[in-house]
Amino acid sequence: MSTEALDAAPSFPLAGLVKPLVQPLVAVAIAVLVGGLLVLALGENPIEVYSILVHGSLVGWPNFLVTLQMMSPLLFTGLAVAISFRAGLWNIGAEGQMIMGALAAGIVGYAVDLPTALHIPLALIAAFAGGLAWALLPALLRVWLNLNELVVCLMLNPIALLLSGYVSTHLLKAPGPTNKLPDIADTAALPTFSLYSQVNAGFVIGLVLCLVFAVVNGGTKKGFEWKIMGLNPRFAYYGGIRVPLQAVLVMMLSGGIAGLGGAEQVLGEYRAFYDNFSPGYGFDGIAVAMLANFHPVGVVLAAFLFGALNGGSAVLQMMTGLSKYLVQVLQFIIVLILAAQFSWAFLGSRRKAPPAHAAPAAPKEE
Amino acid sequence: MDADLAFSAIRISTPLIFAAMGGLLTYQAGMLNIALDGFMIVAAFAAIAIAYATGSLTIAVAGGVACAVVMAGLLALFNLRFRAHIFIAGVAVTFLAYGLTALLLRGILGEEGVFSSNTIPNFPPIAIPFIKDIPVLGRVLSGHTLLVYVAYLCVPVVAWSLYRTRWGLRVRVVGEAEDAALAAGIRVERIKVQTMLLSGVFCGLAGAYLSLGYVSLFANKMTNERGLIALAAIFFAKGRPYPTALVALLFGTATALSVRLPQMTGAAPQLLQLIPYVVTVLALIVVGLRNARGRNRHGAWKFDVT
Repeated sequence: MSTEALDAAPSFPLAGLVKPLVQPLVAVAIAVLVGGLLVLALGENPIEVYSILVHGSLVGWPNFLVTLQMMSPLLFTGLAVAISFRAGLWNIGAEGQMIMGALAAGIVGYAVDLPTALHIPLALIAAFAGGLAWALLPALLRVWLNLNELVVCLMLNPIALLLSGYVSTHLLKAPGPTNKLPDIADTAALPTFSLYSQVNAGFVIGLVLCLVFAVVNGGTKKGFEWKIMGLNPRFAYYGGIRVPLQAVLVMMLSGGIAGLGGAEQVLGEYRAFYDNFSPGYGFDGIAVAMLANFHPVGVVLAAFLFGALNGGSAVLQMMTGLSKYLVQVLQFIIVLILAAQFSWAFLGSRRKAPPAHAAPAAPKEE
Repeated sequence: MDADLAFSAIRISTPLIFAAMGGLLTYQAGMLNIALDGFMIVAAFAAIAIAYATGSLTIAVAGGVACAVVMAGLLALFNLRFRAHIFIAGVAVTFLAYGLTALLLRGILGEEGVFSSNTIPNFPPIAIPFIKDIPVLGRVLSGHTLLVYVAYLCVPVVAWSLYRTRWGLRVRVVGEAEDAALAAGIRVERIKVQTMLLSGVFCGLAGAYLSLGYVSLFANKMTNERGLIALAAIFFAKGRPYPTALVALLFGTATALSVRLPQMTGAAPQLLQLIPYVVTVLALIVVGLRNARGRNRHGAWKFDVT
């Protein structure tokens, strides 16, 4: 994989200048186009469908506030995935880390009796620790035993879901038919701002975190070290960066942030831990991070786009014969296209005569 | 009761065996295909939609397999041609498949979340001539539907083609030493595409069995992470066909128990469902410990796949 990256890297010097914006926009445009064709095939008018999506998510205060609500968890999971991917660590376990954070916040939220000034911070710390713990295992296994963190994260996601399911349906189940923990105390609840939606103080925390990491990534030694690690871990190692230590640190931060996303859901939106509450925010986080090109400010923009799509999709489902899952299709078409980092180089080298540097790679094309 | 449990364990393991055989081929060719669930869900949907439209199970299974192969082709295209990271592309293909099937479920069949129909014919159970007369074993092994037998017959076929044919040798060389394979003149990319498409075929059969095998029903995300369990079996058995099938059968038995036990004892089903994942993480740790012992700990930060 690494040699391919080296082969392909110099082949789009021009695109490198405008890449930060062009690539995401092209991906979104392709997704919208493919989605439009799908809509057409299902017998609906694509322009009408897209205008419903935009209208249902952005026009009017209630719709806009719902968009902000839908965007909140994606801020956390998107940022969590972005900082780990940027450092070359494929943390696709944000879903499980978020669930463990939410579970920790849910337990601290109802089981502890404290004044608000202490209760909210304690619940947030618990959520951070829960997500962190769930990311620590893949990180340590990666560093000590060189186990692929992707595989471990992949297995830890269902473990988190099943464990939290066990806790919320058996161990600490609230009385009543619903599978959930008891409601959190009012002292642990994150304040909401409006009656129209559940957007809450967690949204602000997510925004602040994104800004903090924009500064950390762009303006500190740590952020630079993480970037080098992601670009070339061997170079980073020989350059004196303590790669294993930094890798564990990045994974812990990433997991902790995903855990805070769980706290936003439990303390802000649902006010209790519900079994199976996440419709896949951890995986949507991958989509957000890819679209953001792993940049924290980009995460805010991408989370806004996907939050708007999710918000609009409920309206779409009500007003047309289409399913809200159209939005999921759009999201992961975007991911697929953005994952194909080198397709631009491929297109370039196909149209013209193959450039000289493509020659050594030729046997691979067979 | 025990024979019933064993019977249902064999039945429940069927899609796991199919998916594990599919994932195993790409694993042997050096690709970790995590989109098994995505291939399966597409096949499950296509199979039931086609069966509903035509009333023919044969066409339905063929159509399901064809759609799964198309998804496999999509992943192969993005991974091999466009150089997308296989995990990211795999996650994308899986969730794309989940979304697409849910979208089409409402768009084509007009149902929300679940579709079932009693006009679709069922697979007839097949009794095996001599085995069915053996006292206990007969009740366990005989009386399944065609796809169940096909699944278990796939295991020796896959083992044979991997270890006894020239093609299988090439697949394993590609997986173990891609550079050596290239130097030896093996068409690496072609082998990889072939294993990925075959992976689609097996997952297609798994998906068709899911939606048409027990009762004719499709639900959103109905694969229920069976692809992940199959992947766990592959990791656990390091991609060898017979052990992988055996582990898949054990994981299937755990699933069958997780359906049965709570009814009788009131135990939590989640704890039994945890088994495949926990066991796999533990197995990975054991393998990692074994490898770490022999490795120079002062090397650079190494990035091997698995």
